[in-house]
Amino acid sequence: MSGTWMTTRAWLLMLPLLVVMVAVIGWPLVDTVNLSFTDAKLVGTGGNYVGFDNYTNMLSSSNFSRTLITTTLFAVISVAAEMVIGVLAALLLNQQFHGRAVLRALMILPWALPTVVNATLWRLIYNPEYGALNAALTQLHLIDAYRSWLGEPGTALAALIVADCWKNFPLVALIALAALQAVPRDITAASLVDGAGAFNRFRFVILPYLAGPLMVALVLRTIEAFKVFDIIWVMTRGGPANSTRTLSILVYQEAFSFQRAGSGASLALIVTLLVTVLAVAYAALVRKTAGSAA
Amino acid sequence: MSALEIRNVRKNYGSVETLKGIDIALQSGEFLVLLGSSGCGKSTLLNIIAGLAEATSGDVLIGGRSILGVHPKNRDIAMVFQSYALYPNLTVRRNIGFGLEMRGVAADDREKAVNEAARLLQIEALLDRKPSQLSGGQRQRVAIGRALVRKPQVFLFDEPLSNLDAKLRLEMRTELKRLHQMLQTTVVYVTHDQIEAMTLATRIAVMRDGIIEQLGTPEEIYNEPATLYVAGFVGAPSMNMLQSTVEGGTLAIDGSPARLPLPARFSKAIGNGARVVVGIRPEALRVAAGAAEPSLPVEIEVVELTGPELVATARVGTQRLTACLPPAARVSKGQASIFAFGEDAMRLFDPDTGKAF
Repeated sequence: MSGTWMTTRAWLLMLPLLVVMVAVIGWPLVDTVNLSFTDAKLVGTGGNYVGFDNYTNMLSSSNFSRTLITTTLFAVISVAAEMVIGVLAALLLNQQFHGRAVLRALMILPWALPTVVNATLWRLIYNPEYGALNAALTQLHLIDAYRSWLGEPGTALAALIVADCWKNFPLVALIALAALQAVPRDITAASLVDGAGAFNRFRFVILPYLAGPLMVALVLRTIEAFKVFDIIWVMTRGGPANSTRTLSILVYQEAFSFQRAGSGASLALIVTLLVTVLAVAYAALVRKTAGSAA
Repeated sequence: MSALEIRNVRKNYGSVETLKGIDIALQSGEFLVLLGSSGCGKSTLLNIIAGLAEATSGDVLIGGRSILGVHPKNRDIAMVFQSYALYPNLTVRRNIGFGLEMRGVAADDREKAVNEAARLLQIEALLDRKPSQLSGGQRQRVAIGRALVRKPQVFLFDEPLSNLDAKLRLEMRTELKRLHQMLQTTVVYVTHDQIEAMTLATRIAVMRDGIIEQLGTPEEIYNEPATLYVAGFVGAPSMNMLQSTVEGGTLAIDGSPARLPLPARFSKAIGNGARVVVGIRPEALRVAAGAAEPSLPVEIEVVELTGPELVATARVGTQRLTACLPPAARVSKGQASIFAFGEDAMRLFDPDTGKAF
């Protein structure tokens, strides 16, 4: 069978998918790019061509830089915490003990629940009048009076990060737990005989087997955290005083709350570009990790 | 004082008793091979010595000190694994020196010890490579080097040659023998390969179903097997086992008119009418012209030339036996012949207990 026919057949087989992709991704993307060069409103006619004004305005606005910092803080802290907690949980769940299977199943629960359910649950926990967190901290004498964790700019972002970690650490734990199954028993035994303590055993024996899978988890979670919307929208809507406003929330507000479709489109494209840069950088890292592990 | 002493060690996994009371005392410099088929408990025993598994009861002493409950790193042992168990992200140099590094040995001393081990094992050129860049044989040398630098009281080897191809296995076997002769260290070595056991060991413990069937020198195990199991397990081809009955001072071979003289050394222990299994090593058989010595009339079924010898499978009535003959032996398929052997080559076993008379 000739190579040309094989190539033609491959394209033919991919064609339906390509058509769907062009329809649902390509066309809206082109339309968004067009929109981003106009001052179009959400409703009404197409708007006037304004060149790069939307981009320059957006990039020079303090709103954007503040939101970028908030988003970066949210992404870095929550992903770092998820990685650490996820790996620790996986190491614990990899031990032999009674009820391990039940605990493994329970661990998946926060990740399996819909984000809206998770967010609502955490809103209840943080509730300033009857929230469990206030009750627990008061009874432990760590705080004197109930606080509005989501209502204070100083604590809202941290409270959101905790909720996001709780939801997403099981994914990291699950990936790490699967990777731990690949650590050969003999190598662990050899390190015990060689006198490696728990930390050195983790560093020299376990981590090389975890590095590749964890890098994949890191890529996935960082990209997700960078474009986070739902959990924040349900819990704080970007408030108080925009202290939890992330880039996706800003895009939503710009396009739908303030009905500035052109400006919103330019912001959406900036976010897309940032995420793409992140994805490419991480993909290179994954390739490098996989290469050095081989 | 023994270098290693195993006292009545038992191991249960739930209701399954894997080790049923093992007793071994090993002098310094001995090379003990634990030999047995899969599931006989040899690796479990090794893991108990290493501290990677706990004994249900009994005691293990190294240099007169009980080591049960002592962490593996404090047992003064080093272990070589079947899968090499090298740390994949560390260089050969760091792999070999890892045990010393973890014990806080100074970098200079470590380097000296690593270089010395590398020289002994002829892997000096590989020190800066990663395990993934090594062949199977090189990896096993590194694993041995990692054990050597520690200079422990007891070396433990868990089927270290099983993952190597036949040629490399032979080379490494000789290498291990050379190292043991040079260093005179105490070794416990687990294998299911009887050739490895015979060539390397100063003593062999043949294990079966959690017990030691026989503990002795390779010569004792080969020439004076204590049980039918040992007789059948050690030796390739394995020992011929002929079912027979004692009749008037002779051994009447079942399913055949052939009779063998009952050696005088057994005549007191075995009475008339007793059932007996006659064991004769294939190497002890030769083609005879007449029937002067103990001999068996046979009919040759299959002849296989292996190179150094001719393996002939023959029938004695309804029973089969194998003979390892010189390549020039004149035997062919379908031919009637006589296999003769010395009386000393005969081993007699009780078919009910499986034990040697």
